[in-house]
Amino acid sequence: MLTLAKRNMQLYFRDRSAVFFSLLSVAILIAVYVFFLGDLIADGLPDFPGKQGLLLTWVIAGILSVSSVTTTVAAFGIFVEDRARRTLEDFRVTPLKQSSLIGSYLLSSVSIGLIMCLAALLAADVMLFVAGEPLLSVVQFAQSAGIILLSVLSAASLLLLLVGFFRTSNAFAAASTLIGTSIGFLAGIYIPIGSLPGYLQSLIQLIPVSHSALLFRHVLMGPYMSEAFENAPEGEAWRFQEAMGITFHVGDIALDPLYSLLYLAGTAIIFCLIAIPVTKRLNHR
Amino acid sequence: MANRIDVIGLEKSFGAVRAVDGISFHVKTGSLFSFLGTNGAGKSTTIAILLGLLKSDAGTVLINGKDPSLHGESVRREIGVVFQESLLDPLLTVRENLFVRARLYGMSRKDADEAIQRTAGITGIQPLLKRKYGKLSGGQKRRTDIARALLHEPSILVLDEPTTGLDPESRRQLWDTITLLQRESDLTVFLTTHYIEEADRSDYAIILNSGQIIASGTPDALRTEHSADRLLLSPANTAALRKALSDDEFLYREHHGRFEIELDSTLSAIPIVARYEPLLASFEVKKSSLEDVFLRVQERKEADANADTRKA
Repeated sequence: MLTLAKRNMQLYFRDRSAVFFSLLSVAILIAVYVFFLGDLIADGLPDFPGKQGLLLTWVIAGILSVSSVTTTVAAFGIFVEDRARRTLEDFRVTPLKQSSLIGSYLLSSVSIGLIMCLAALLAADVMLFVAGEPLLSVVQFAQSAGIILLSVLSAASLLLLLVGFFRTSNAFAAASTLIGTSIGFLAGIYIPIGSLPGYLQSLIQLIPVSHSALLFRHVLMGPYMSEAFENAPEGEAWRFQEAMGITFHVGDIALDPLYSLLYLAGTAIIFCLIAIPVTKRLNHR
Repeated sequence: MANRIDVIGLEKSFGAVRAVDGISFHVKTGSLFSFLGTNGAGKSTTIAILLGLLKSDAGTVLINGKDPSLHGESVRREIGVVFQESLLDPLLTVRENLFVRARLYGMSRKDADEAIQRTAGITGIQPLLKRKYGKLSGGQKRRTDIARALLHEPSILVLDEPTTGLDPESRRQLWDTITLLQRESDLTVFLTTHYIEEADRSDYAIILNSGQIIASGTPDALRTEHSADRLLLSPANTAALRKALSDDEFLYREHHGRFEIELDSTLSAIPIVARYEPLLASFEVKKSSLEDVFLRVQERKEADANADTRKA
């Protein structure tokens, strides 16, 4: 299984275009933010201390959660390709167990997602440095890495379920473009969740990646939050948190970030449990 | 053990389609066995069942005495497969490809390296080990595929239409390798192909059509029984040749200005060519193809059916 997972990773990193396209949606996100979204959001808010850092970390949180999905999607492309090219047949004539075969793709996709997102985290640190903001603390780094692992696992298990239904690489490429472009909206990243109608807000809260964005925001924006709202009137911080998707609420009850952690972990486990038998069945056809 | 593969009364349907419809055959240890048939004749289905990747509906299959549906893992260790398409990873080097596949058979790194050296030696691909698989020529890929199939020292080598899309030189090289392998070990080769010429080297061949065996035997027997070679004569003087053939009461057909005569054997072309030499511009002996055999068997079946109706 490890050999095969390593092989999948080798194939991914040797295919420069796969690496490029998995970073493309992240690049688009940065460009969109730099060119107009940043100003748009900043203009909509009153001036307060630490505003630049607060918004920058908000965007970084979005980028990290988006890339946890897009890089994992790209990594799963290997699986689709192997089936389309019938390379899977060549694995099936070996004594390798079916579950190890699927496990190897899961493992390689999670590893690729982790590697790429950790690289994105380092890049985020550079962005902060360039903007003249303080670098991430060791604790923030460790917490972010943990969230990365969790969101990649959640994305990978959901994808494992979906990926079985794609027979050709073209269909999968189209789907991953769709995911790449829509994910920014689905996670409340292009547009702050607060400026969307209520039903969309509820929908977004159901999508695992929005919880990963929320967790990143908590970790990365935390220090700026206390600075920004130190002297603000009562309730201001709360409204901001709600508008920017730093706190979700069901009805009037604000959800503790712990729920988001559990939601991510839960979806990861549930989808994985459904996906493994489904994928096994599909492969046998 | 005398037989590597025993198949008795094998049946497999996909929905209403009877892909394999009650076939039986035996493959002797160390023999070259050909499985002939057009696309959709049931070849791939049979192979998948032999490998334990598909469950049969009825019948017995034994690989070295073991049932693949129960002992899939150990049966797959006995069989090496060369697929019709090239399935190794184009972005990896030949060595990397072989290494990954060897490890899938549970070999240690050291064993895998040894297996690569051994199979690369047999197939003559040592100079290619460091090259990317995707950059190889068709023939080089094929040799690499064979090396891959031999990594785990299987006792049976399955070749699924191995020469499809190969140039003649690569085709010849491929056959040299297979012949060499067979001579030097007691490797059993199970070949599927469209081409009856390829089955010529085999010890035994069966012809499959719509899931049923329509003919079987040694290649020579098959050809004598079911098809004829044809002699094509291109005349220097058409009218003279036509007259000479008619005078000698030869059965012939004229086709695009050439005269076609059915032969009992290839060698019987010699006296005919010698006899009409002065009238000929050139000649050609056409070996029978699988299609001819199909047509013959089909014609015979229909004739039998008609005869039966008449009797009744």
